[in-house]
Amino acid sequence: MLCLFLIGMNCLSFSQNVDEIISSYYETIGGKKWDAINGMRMTANVDQGGMTIPVEVVSMRDGRSFTKVTFMGNTMTMAAFDGKKSWTTNFMTMEPEESPADDSENARRMANEFPNGLVKYKDLGYTASLIGSEKIEGTDCHKIKLEKKSMLVEGKEVPNVEYYYIDKESNVPLLVETEISSGEMKGKISQTKFSDYQEVNGVFFPFYNASGLKDGESQTIQFEKIEVNPTVEDSMFAFPKK
Amino acid sequence: MRKISIGILFLSLSLSSWAQESVLNAGEYFGDLKARHIGPALMSGRVSDIELHPKNSNVVLIGSAGGGVWKSQDGGVRFTSIFDNYCQSIGAVAIDPTDPDNTYWVGTGETWTRNSVSYGDGIYKTTDGGKNWTKLGLDKTDRIASIQIHPINPNVIYVAALGALWGNSDDRGVYKTEDGGKTWNKILFVNNTTGCSELVMDPSNPNVLYAAFWEFRRTAYSFSSGGLNSALYKSTDGGKTWNKLQNGFPKGKLGRIAVTVAPSNPSIVYAVLEAEKKEEKGLYRSDDGGQNWKFLNGDFGLTVRPFYFSKISVDPKNPDIIVKAGLSGSISRDGGKTFKNLGSMHSDIHDMEFDPNNSSKMFVATDGGLYRSLDGGSSMEMIEDLPLSQFYHVSVDNREPYFVFGGLQDNNSWFGPSASPGGIEARDWELVGQGDGFRVYPHPTEPHIVYSEMQGAENIWRFDVKKQQLKVIKPYPVEGDPKFRFNWNAPITTSKHNPDRLYVGSQFVHISNDRGDSWKKISGDLTTNDKTKQNQEASGGLSADNSGAENHCTIFTIAESPLTDQVVWAGTDDGNVQLTKDGGKTWTNVTKNFPGLPLNTWCYHIESSVHGKEIAYAVFEGHTTNDYKPYVYKTIDFGQTWVSITTPEITSFVRNIQEDYKNPNLLFIGAENGLYITLNGGKNWSPFTNNFPRVAVHYLELHPEKNALVAATHGRGIIIIDDITPLRNINEGLLKSNLTFFDTKPFTISEKSNFGGTASENQFVGDNPSSNAQISYFLPRRHTFGKMTAEIVEMNGNLVAKLEAGKQKGINTISWGFNGLAPKVAKGKGWSFAGAPTVKAGKYKVKITKGNEVFEKEIEVQYDQTSSFTIVERTEQQKVTKELFDLIQDLAYFVYQIDLWDEKAEEFQKKNSAPNKTVAKLGEELDALRNKVVVTTGDNYVGAAEPQLKEKLNDIYGTIASYYGAPSSTQLENIASLKKDFDNAKATFEKIKAGSLKAFEKELTKNKTVQVPVLISFEEFLKLEK
Repeated sequence: MLCLFLIGMNCLSFSQNVDEIISSYYETIGGKKWDAINGMRMTANVDQGGMTIPVEVVSMRDGRSFTKVTFMGNTMTMAAFDGKKSWTTNFMTMEPEESPADDSENARRMANEFPNGLVKYKDLGYTASLIGSEKIEGTDCHKIKLEKKSMLVEGKEVPNVEYYYIDKESNVPLLVETEISSGEMKGKISQTKFSDYQEVNGVFFPFYNASGLKDGESQTIQFEKIEVNPTVEDSMFAFPKK
Repeated sequence: MRKISIGILFLSLSLSSWAQESVLNAGEYFGDLKARHIGPALMSGRVSDIELHPKNSNVVLIGSAGGGVWKSQDGGVRFTSIFDNYCQSIGAVAIDPTDPDNTYWVGTGETWTRNSVSYGDGIYKTTDGGKNWTKLGLDKTDRIASIQIHPINPNVIYVAALGALWGNSDDRGVYKTEDGGKTWNKILFVNNTTGCSELVMDPSNPNVLYAAFWEFRRTAYSFSSGGLNSALYKSTDGGKTWNKLQNGFPKGKLGRIAVTVAPSNPSIVYAVLEAEKKEEKGLYRSDDGGQNWKFLNGDFGLTVRPFYFSKISVDPKNPDIIVKAGLSGSISRDGGKTFKNLGSMHSDIHDMEFDPNNSSKMFVATDGGLYRSLDGGSSMEMIEDLPLSQFYHVSVDNREPYFVFGGLQDNNSWFGPSASPGGIEARDWELVGQGDGFRVYPHPTEPHIVYSEMQGAENIWRFDVKKQQLKVIKPYPVEGDPKFRFNWNAPITTSKHNPDRLYVGSQFVHISNDRGDSWKKISGDLTTNDKTKQNQEASGGLSADNSGAENHCTIFTIAESPLTDQVVWAGTDDGNVQLTKDGGKTWTNVTKNFPGLPLNTWCYHIESSVHGKEIAYAVFEGHTTNDYKPYVYKTIDFGQTWVSITTPEITSFVRNIQEDYKNPNLLFIGAENGLYITLNGGKNWSPFTNNFPRVAVHYLELHPEKNALVAATHGRGIIIIDDITPLRNINEGLLKSNLTFFDTKPFTISEKSNFGGTASENQFVGDNPSSNAQISYFLPRRHTFGKMTAEIVEMNGNLVAKLEAGKQKGINTISWGFNGLAPKVAKGKGWSFAGAPTVKAGKYKVKITKGNEVFEKEIEVQYDQTSSFTIVERTEQQKVTKELFDLIQDLAYFVYQIDLWDEKAEEFQKKNSAPNKTVAKLGEELDALRNKVVVTTGDNYVGAAEPQLKEKLNDIYGTIASYYGAPSSTQLENIASLKKDFDNAKATFEKIKAGSLKAFEKELTKNKTVQVPVLISFEEFLKLEK
């Protein structure tokens, strides 16, 4: 009986803690001010061995998004989601192509996450649990497991799990980790690291992120400008008519 | 007198450097200092256990002897390590049948108890497919042989704990949990020398269990398998009561027992017994659930080395198809009456697992990795993605790139490069020895001459790799000599003072000054020569096992001082440390001077310091007496006194120490559970885990030129930290500044280019080191809020390149590929690359802007000193590169002007309903001109358009810029021709400007529907987004 009670206490304190942590995180990055944000446009000049590649990323509250790059005098949409379908540009033909059905379905399932799945986990029916503490690059972090709705991988439902490492001191995530679910790298851990949090219209964004395989090389991006509530033509998200 | 004062001076210098030592906990600040793994995987390493997902046979889990747990999700094509942060010696892995996608158990501590086996620290569980693990007790069980999970209630689990190999222990037997591992009950215990070596559950009734108990013991010099306490037990009530099964079994002592139940007919049980009499050893079968047994077969394949091969599996569909582990592995298709070998593969088979849904497919675990068969075991293919290699030792040479040399458990001796085009592949490694490999050394000045050995120095070779000439050079006894006693892993070492010198240790120190052609002994017997520890012929217990693995009272480590060849240290496996200061004429035994060291503790390594001939480190390890404590000592007075430099932060026994050549307080320890680093001479230690698993590190070498720490791991191959120099300079002072750059040597621009590697997608490829400039700095705390950027600038402040600044606490490293900024290229269609040129040699500044603060550091870039290109050639290359760079940007501006006017013309036509002929003509002329200078149609593959001026310029620019010598005359002629084309295009544009464009401008002054375009300057144009 005592044992049961202790287990109950334990669960309770864990669930309280995870919500406190997420709530502190949300407050730190702006809290209620996010309600006034319907989307953002982030621009960067990514340096690739001396080549400057302008990148524009637009992400809307309704889940629509696109990433546009200019490379060697060519401007193209690298990836987009129009709310229903995901699409990309083929690098050979420079023509738009629809993404596999799984990708579109997964994008639809995650379309309401803005600003992210962790801070909205309850509304979305996700589960967040504090699974411990870990040092990330010498900094003490809370490790939170976020279990989203399942996703489709090669036609099968598989768990969609992210691990957030939230700095205990600054209350913001330094790292998000997930297992790669398909392809040659299946089973490896992919990581995105965040830094350079800066304020825009009362809310905070990480202006720097680095993505790559755990313990491997990463691709970094330093945003120069983040604009909230941008004016974007609907056609920018839509699959172009051929 | 003078000598004394110099001595005092050195001593005080040494003391003062000790006084400045850091008290920082290094582990907080490792930051970007990361290890890389180079494998190899071509010979892989010992796999101890295999487990397949019951429904999805694409999911394969393996436990390895020293390399942790790996998971495949594609039927074994590729594997991922999922247990890096924990003990890497694995006894058993298990998949929860009620949640096979997510819940796995790992029992640590391999149970194939060879002399070099490691030990475990308990049982672990994951509920998310291996991403996170929780330790659930059984910490002291040392080695876990089996985990059996109830098929319906996953909280009920039975564990076979084999327990301690090297001593008595009560932490062994069968354990049961009924609460998912929170608490454990020992439900079957025999005694403190007898452990549970196998546990199987009846697949049709989880209350029925078979448990094999084995009485066994190793010492450093003997092995004993078998005793009156070994037995096979059965429970039919979930472990509440147990009965000994013996009806039909031999009487007397038993050894290790393999047991299994036929899944398709659980009344059939097979057991393989190690017994006293030869004719009673072998396979027994019961057809009534173990009540009665019949002897079937005593073939070699069934009875060979039971301590190493006691595993038996039955086809899930056919109870008569049986596979037995062994030297080659044996398979029977007639219920055990007759056997034949499994298909050809690496010898020493430890586990076999049938695909539960397709029994013609099976996986087999060997000393040489994992194999897969698709035809029921007839032919085998090796999995080439498992870098589990178990090195005993490593050495390095001075070539560029340097090579690493080492020997492996049951997998020969090898050397391979530390860098190779496309990564370090299987084909990069060269074989330089047979059998079990140990110490391998290159000749110090002629690295194509390689020394290697096999177990017990049965052979010591000198191999000329260039000439492919092989000579056995081991020392032989001469008249009057006793038998030489060589350790299984006998010491060989080269000399810093005479490149042709070799040392080899038996009970004597042998020296050769002619590359091993002739030898002389320079010591007496330096061991305890305890005759009671020299009876290896009697080793093995019920099955003789005199492999040489138990040879004892031998020298294990020899260290010649790097400062004088008169000082030589020798450490023995029976605990002696001996020193000569006169090149071997006289030896002093300093063993009694080690405080707190148990008698006869194995001296594993002596490091004679570069910081003083009187300074040395000695490492002892007592695991062969069941003592897992670390013993590392330092002397600064030739061994008269020793100080322990270990702390409780080191949580396993230690085999090796490596000192830094520059900072005497920076030390590295190779422990059974990983790498540890101290910045303060051992006051505190931190485990290094940045891409460095908690794997047993048997040997460490610090490359004197590259400052690379090279680790010989016993289970994860060679692991390298490429540059440890930032660690030399970490101290409390760095905490006071917001950012501090570390000093660096000049960076060399690599001129190498190649076509990459040839490994296939399913082969492991080791990482290459970066050839970029690695600029390191220290942040006392992480940068999280605000902007932080990095740039390379010329000494006058002009921007050279923009880089990404690392933001983490401790060491951060910016990687710069020596590039400037790429030229701005003309707008067009399709890919046509114009990359950034390489900078010239010289001085630059790194500039980091962190919020409002700016930090700068001067760095130097130099050309490859071994390059054949002259300064004149380089100057010519740089000049032409610059010329082409400018042409590309001029063309971009040229096309910008064409586009500007063309867009205006188009806009004009759109806004005016009546087409204007002049404007139409302008549009046509501009289109025609554009089409001559840039591609505007086609795709980037087979639909590509013919290249135009832009594409041609980019092409020749790339060719010239990526080579470091002068352009060829053909290339220069090509450039001249392109310039002419550009001039012609410019002339055409001038004509257009004077003709239809002028007319359009006039038109615009009349017709205001379109504004006159504003042409920006070339300089402004360059600043626009590229």
